[in-house]
Amino acid sequence: MRRETQNILLVLLGGALLKISFSGLYLRYVQKGLLPLLIAAGAIMIGLALFAIIRDIRRGKAVDDGHSHSSRSTWLMLLPVLAVFLISPPALGGEVVSSSVDTNQTQRSRNLLGDLPSGEVIPLSMTEFVTRTAWDESGTLDNRRVKLTGFLARAEGDTFVARLAIACCAADARPLKVKLVGDVPALPNEQWVEVTGKVVPKSASEKNSWVPSFTVESTTPVAQPVEPYES
Amino acid sequence: MTITGEIRSSKRRSGPPRLKITSLEVLCGILVLALLFQSRLVDLLDVPKLRTASTVFVAICVQAMPFLVLGVLISGAIAAFVPASALRKLLPSKTALAVPVAGVAGVALPGCECASVPVARRLMQQGVAPAVALTFLLAAPAVNPIVLVATAVAFNDTPMMVVARFVGSLLTAMVMGWLWVRFGKMEWIAERALARLHDHDGTSRWAVFAESARHDLVDAGGFLVLGGLFAATFKTFIPVAWMQTISGQIVLGVLVMAFLAVILALCSEADAFVAVAFSALPLLPRLVFLVVGPAVDVKLIALQAGAFGKSFAFRFAPATFVVAILCAVATGVVLL
Repeated sequence: MRRETQNILLVLLGGALLKISFSGLYLRYVQKGLLPLLIAAGAIMIGLALFAIIRDIRRGKAVDDGHSHSSRSTWLMLLPVLAVFLISPPALGGEVVSSSVDTNQTQRSRNLLGDLPSGEVIPLSMTEFVTRTAWDESGTLDNRRVKLTGFLARAEGDTFVARLAIACCAADARPLKVKLVGDVPALPNEQWVEVTGKVVPKSASEKNSWVPSFTVESTTPVAQPVEPYES
Repeated sequence: MTITGEIRSSKRRSGPPRLKITSLEVLCGILVLALLFQSRLVDLLDVPKLRTASTVFVAICVQAMPFLVLGVLISGAIAAFVPASALRKLLPSKTALAVPVAGVAGVALPGCECASVPVARRLMQQGVAPAVALTFLLAAPAVNPIVLVATAVAFNDTPMMVVARFVGSLLTAMVMGWLWVRFGKMEWIAERALARLHDHDGTSRWAVFAESARHDLVDAGGFLVLGGLFAATFKTFIPVAWMQTISGQIVLGVLVMAFLAVILALCSEADAFVAVAFSALPLLPRLVFLVVGPAVDVKLIALQAGAFGKSFAFRFAPATFVVAILCAVATGVVLL
């Protein structure tokens, strides 16, 4: 591959990284703490390419650096570029929930959280809700009205509200699930919702992989959050 | 891998000037075609499994790129600013003694495995013994503080897991280094991997730095993408739900988790969180997962094949796989 082509590929790939960074789309793929690194990586890629391009222009020809044995594999760098600019893959959703093992129990090893905030309706992350139902045996959530945000998923006749948690990138996504009972919404799968209701006390157990039941009082369909995953 | 570039450029120089199709025209062609068929492409991928695979693929690439960039910057800096003699002075002259030093030095590279491949290759080019550079390559992604902290957070009710991971990974790296001292052959490593950079007369150090980093990035980037492609495919199409059913069989558990670590190709900073999720399994198979993952996985094999050549990667990766399993099991039996 010619040096000029390599430089263009680097600019495109760096550009793709910057594009997803500044448009916020990176949150579909990685956790938010990676943002500064992504911007730096994109900028450095473009910088290295520009440095080489300017150097070549000054000399009037591509520098023959004697080791231009670059393999065909370099072409593959075009794939993520095309994927980001043309396809822009969506955030992971129901497919992952239905194909993975139940992972609510991972929350059992987490540290106990502080006191619940006061208020009529407490908005909780799925992570915190599942942690409290699986870990905390004192029943702090019982009889408290809670609001959860997630997408709908159905399996074996049951309806769940689910959310994916990631540690690093979408490749390590693990689903957190809460089973809905009571006024179960009839919305389609993968619809993002805010559900308000109360936990069914002691409903999470080892037998059901620590998936708690949640008595729904009201459901509001919402747009997918900017940050689709919890971390 | 091929020398198409060289042949082409020499042809270009010798032949009469005429219209030729070079990689530049091919690139433009691909881009135009991709733009024309964009909606067709999007429709084609609108199947749940393929959608998941494409998201995971982009996620792995995006996640790994910053670490690869970090790696090539360090590699470029070594090429430009660290003379070979300084490295020689820093390391014990006896290779067998330098191996553990390199293993412990891995603590200093905060990143995942993508960063360590270009650095290890540059070390070899600067005259560091391959065994030493390879030990560094294996140790760095597994024993650095960021990875250990992530492991401690994930396994916060079994702190011994952190110690076991550190010891197991360091042991794997050092055993591989010593094995290379005893059995390794230089001819397995592709010649281009060891070719010293030309002493660019009159080229400033900064230019050497930028050119080396750029060159390494172009070299490794494609292989990283290839690894991401494999990992995304495996992750999406191999069902892992049945894993929960093997909890009773420890030997099977160890082998399956080792195999999973290779095909999932998780970043070493995230694998502990995935290992925690396999809660039906005892700790030992999960430790194997954590020790094998940063040492050998499809992304890493692709990167190694790119950096050191196929004949190296296809010997080194299986050997590392076996050594990592043995070291992890030995460590686990003693510590867990």
